[in-house]
Amino acid sequence: MEKQAGAAGTADGAGPNRKPWGSPNFGPATGDTLDSPAGSHVEWCKQLIAATISNQISGSVPPDIVNKDKKQDLHDEGLCYHKESDSEHPSKAMNLPALRYGAQVRMFQNQVPLLPGETIQTTVKDVMYICPFSGLVNGTLTITDYKLYFTSVERESQFILDVNLGVISRLETISVPTQGENTKGLELVCKDMRSPRFAYKTEESHPDVVEAVAKHAFPISHNLPLFAFRYEEQFPVDGWKVYDPTAEYRRQGLPNESWAISKINSTYELCDTYPSILVIPTNITDEDIKRVAVFRAKHRVPVLSWIHPESQATIVRCSQPLVGPSDRRCKEDERFLQIIMDANAQSHKLTIFDARQSSVAVTNKAKDGGYESESFYPNVELNFLEIPNIHVMRESLRKMKDVVYPTIDEAHWHSAIDQTHWLEYIRLLLAGAAKIADKLESGKTSVVVHCSDGSDRTAQLTSLAMLMLDSYYRTLRGFQVLVEKEWMSFGHKFAARVGHGDENHANSERSPLFVQFIDCVWQMTRQFPAAFEFNELFLITVLDHLYSCLFGTFFYNSEEERAAKEVQTKTVSLWSYINSQPEDFTNPFYVDYEHHVLYPLVSSRHLDLWTSYYARWNPRMRPQLPVHQTLKELLILRAELQKRVEELQKETSSHSLSSSSEHSPSPTHTIGTPLHTAV
Amino acid sequence: MEFSEHIKTANVEDVVLRQPLHPPSRGTLCITGHHLLFSDREEGGPRQVLLLLRNIDAVEKSVENLSGYSSLFSNAGRSERISGSSGTITIKCKDLRVLQLDIPGMEQCLNIAHSIETLSCLDCVSELYPFFYRPSDLSLQDQWGLSFPEKHYSQMKELHDRWRLSSVNRGYSVCPTYPPAVIVPKEINDDMLVKVAKFRQGGRFPVLCYYHRKNGMVIMRSSQPLTGANRKRCREDELLLQAVIDGSDKGYIIDTRSSQQAQQARITGGGFESKSCYNCWKRLHRQMERAKALQESLIKLVEACGEESHNMDRWLSKLENSKWLSHVQTALSTAGLLAECVERDGHSVLVHGSEGTDSTLLISTLAQVIMDPCCRTVEGFLALLEREWVQAGHPFQQRCAHSAYSHARLQQESPLFLLLLDCVWQLWRQFPLALGFSEALLLRLATEAYASDYGTFLCNSDQERCSLGVKEKTHCLFQALLRPKEREYYSNPLYERTELAIWPSVHPQSLQLWRGFFLRWTPQARHLEEAQEEIRNMVIEWGKLALVT
Repeated sequence: MEKQAGAAGTADGAGPNRKPWGSPNFGPATGDTLDSPAGSHVEWCKQLIAATISNQISGSVPPDIVNKDKKQDLHDEGLCYHKESDSEHPSKAMNLPALRYGAQVRMFQNQVPLLPGETIQTTVKDVMYICPFSGLVNGTLTITDYKLYFTSVERESQFILDVNLGVISRLETISVPTQGENTKGLELVCKDMRSPRFAYKTEESHPDVVEAVAKHAFPISHNLPLFAFRYEEQFPVDGWKVYDPTAEYRRQGLPNESWAISKINSTYELCDTYPSILVIPTNITDEDIKRVAVFRAKHRVPVLSWIHPESQATIVRCSQPLVGPSDRRCKEDERFLQIIMDANAQSHKLTIFDARQSSVAVTNKAKDGGYESESFYPNVELNFLEIPNIHVMRESLRKMKDVVYPTIDEAHWHSAIDQTHWLEYIRLLLAGAAKIADKLESGKTSVVVHCSDGSDRTAQLTSLAMLMLDSYYRTLRGFQVLVEKEWMSFGHKFAARVGHGDENHANSERSPLFVQFIDCVWQMTRQFPAAFEFNELFLITVLDHLYSCLFGTFFYNSEEERAAKEVQTKTVSLWSYINSQPEDFTNPFYVDYEHHVLYPLVSSRHLDLWTSYYARWNPRMRPQLPVHQTLKELLILRAELQKRVEELQKETSSHSLSSSSEHSPSPTHTIGTPLHTAV
Repeated sequence: MEFSEHIKTANVEDVVLRQPLHPPSRGTLCITGHHLLFSDREEGGPRQVLLLLRNIDAVEKSVENLSGYSSLFSNAGRSERISGSSGTITIKCKDLRVLQLDIPGMEQCLNIAHSIETLSCLDCVSELYPFFYRPSDLSLQDQWGLSFPEKHYSQMKELHDRWRLSSVNRGYSVCPTYPPAVIVPKEINDDMLVKVAKFRQGGRFPVLCYYHRKNGMVIMRSSQPLTGANRKRCREDELLLQAVIDGSDKGYIIDTRSSQQAQQARITGGGFESKSCYNCWKRLHRQMERAKALQESLIKLVEACGEESHNMDRWLSKLENSKWLSHVQTALSTAGLLAECVERDGHSVLVHGSEGTDSTLLISTLAQVIMDPCCRTVEGFLALLEREWVQAGHPFQQRCAHSAYSHARLQQESPLFLLLLDCVWQLWRQFPLALGFSEALLLRLATEAYASDYGTFLCNSDQERCSLGVKEKTHCLFQALLRPKEREYYSNPLYERTELAIWPSVHPQSLQLWRGFFLRWTPQARHLEEAQEEIRNMVIEWGKLALVT
């Protein structure tokens, strides 16, 4: 990430180092952006002219670069709304707060802030950062085992670029013809929609930058541990305790007479990509389940994921049946689905949502996969949700990167987004999840969701449907449970999809499905601004640490693997970090829409590109006011009032009833005004 | 009044009304001189829909002589109608709502449609509803309007040593579209002003519209100078502008036309301030779309919003093709430039295009919202609109005669005021704490500009309003909006006054479609409105509680 010294910088791609450190370098030019809402305009225009502006804009841009488009009139220089000025004002991409934990560190070594456990590997002087917006910045590049840290102290304000190594997808050498023969160029193609570039000298005395970066950006490929295994930060809460499957199923009212908590997979023998604790129908034998496992891809048998508290309709997830070209059948599988249907007395039907495009499902059948035939499964209705596969999604986001980075073609902004189809896929996912939720809520019918393996689109759909149906998952804590459960425990292949520490960037297994899921959640938070306890910063932080390799939360492909690698004892959980400072991730306007089902509108007119995530590296993305601080103050005020109300209520209950009327205004009037926005 | 001539059928029973966000309902339709009134007889309490006919932009009717009318209500036992004819009227409103009325009887249907068509576009201003609207809690004796030039001038003491209030336009004799009193440089006397007015299109000589307290710089606005092909000069005009910058090294002229357009204007007698005659003034050209292009853009946008296909329909490309957001961008960035010249660069600015009644007002207004915290409160914003739009002669009657649905041939219609509101909304979204009013106020203004119970947006100029007695015979919207209940409703609970300028980001990735307006009648917009209402109430409650505890 790139930030101005001292100012609480942009969305930090690189872990919890958000705290303004380096106060010694706190330049006078930057001071006023901290406490003045918009940053004084005069101030930032001064900075602009000096070309020393924060984030993207360097301290070393020669004046002729800045002014190249402005020959006509000297006086117009620096008028930001004048012409197509290629320099811009400071972009506080998020106006992020300084967080308490994970930032308190820390040692400084050569002015480089380090996390506990982090060590400097190489320091290279005379490196040039090639800023896509304002040209070259000369400075010092430090490579640690966690991040790449570039500083420049030219001019009066310091320029810092801080990129964690986990976010790097591949390293590419580029040519920098203008800088002389012995200069090499390096582009860091990142997973989070940016590609910073550097130029450096290749003299004998210089260490090899590429080698040093590659070694620590791709530790797996170099037989080194991921950084999370070295990270030594202590947090006051333990995020690994967030998800306890038994407690979560108990919350849902399980076990009950139809559903049992089973230990059949306790040693991951039945299915190595499933969690050890499963919820399956009571009246089915282990023998039968094993036969069903053989009939389902990767042995991912149908298991309960969520049960409706009233109708007892369930969301069941699994993988595709191995029907094959010869229309194989499995009596146990057919009976299994019948039992699932019978467990819900409200409906005599069962709906299967196959996430795939129907044509693909047919092709899969020829390759030994397939789908449930309605003639072999009585009372079953099969729906295809027509969602394209992981490769299509990867390609779509790749196109999106071209649209948002490094520069934006302003004249064709909307049509360029249209052409990526990204929002179209977001719409398909939300629409599919809404269909599932509606089937349970209105149709009182149990549903089975699968795609091919049941770990990608299935996870997206079940978790989104559960978010619509169950208000618990819309809390800060509940959302963590949802992710732990539907994604981690049910074996979404994070390692394969993200490629932590692996240099094989062209691996076709990679795909941004989790990003897509978080995007869908963001779309819902926009449509229901008071229904979610967490805020946008939370969603962005989750995505940043999907890549950062600072926390072990997203490591490996399955629960079994995580257990074998002792992730829980050897790494820190992302939720430890989040839950140590929940006030920063909390939406002050949150009202528990308990028992409300939220159906998002899925017309393309109501979906937006999440620019504050995808386009945040663009200096022209500029939120204007530090709203965050005000919202946080509101949150504190709200908490105080809540406490006061509770005290009043206590008083009321201990006093006689009549005395309560003296309190004004009445406490019942205050917090969590009941909402009329039932959907 | 002769409204009754236009009403052949005043009442129809058994009409089915379909409107967004509500189930269809059956009831009685009634047409009066100014309203369409529908009251249903459904169980669960009667419901009424009262629609100002002026709000109706287009009427589409389809009549059929067949049965089948009652197919919607299978239990309808009204057999005498089943065999009869029926018709459907689709009403498209200027606030973008679309209603549908199923009316039994072809003749009645045609009568109703005809009445609506005629009464919704009455030409005579004094027949419009504001002249009849008499709410019990407002009196015609109340002050009309919030601000008038005399008051504005007297409030700004800082101005007085260099600027004076001139009543040269008393009786609207010098400029028919200016108010009777205007603020001009002290050293320019009324005789000189008369000469300057002759040199400016429509007599709109340069007048002060904003004084920047922080550095004493000003924004002036006018129309184009009538230099013509012969490069005519006007000594007094040059003196006036010289007096504006008085001692300072230079001023800026922001011309809302491209330099090519400005050159071409000379052929038709217009022109621009040439460097040689106004050597202390630096011209900056920013091309802003003309009225007609804006109207076409609005029509395209509304059409795209209305297509309710949920499939891959390339919505974003359509949004882009409508160019509406690029007009928003141009307006905001030109206003940003203007504010920059004044606030950062510390120079006075003269703004004009051709007539000086449209985009000139748009950017001078936006620049004031950007720079001046006083314009960001509910009262301040309404007073700003009154000064810069109503008194400054934006031709509301011509510009807002029709909106996006009308089939009538376009004449002078153009959604400049709507564009202003959209730009302010973008500011509001980018600075959620800096503006004292809520989105609801902007939505209300967007509706009122096209059809209103109040007289504020009637006519094209102060002179017209004066001759029709608008200020005596109608109520003022701005006053009504400041009644305690309204005022609370339209205020922003998160408002925190900031003295700083609020510089908008004008890149397409920072601008958004104003869904609250353009998709207002879809369920989600309604849902969001409710959620925002809820948040408002919550914050207000907290505020009250914090005071108590």
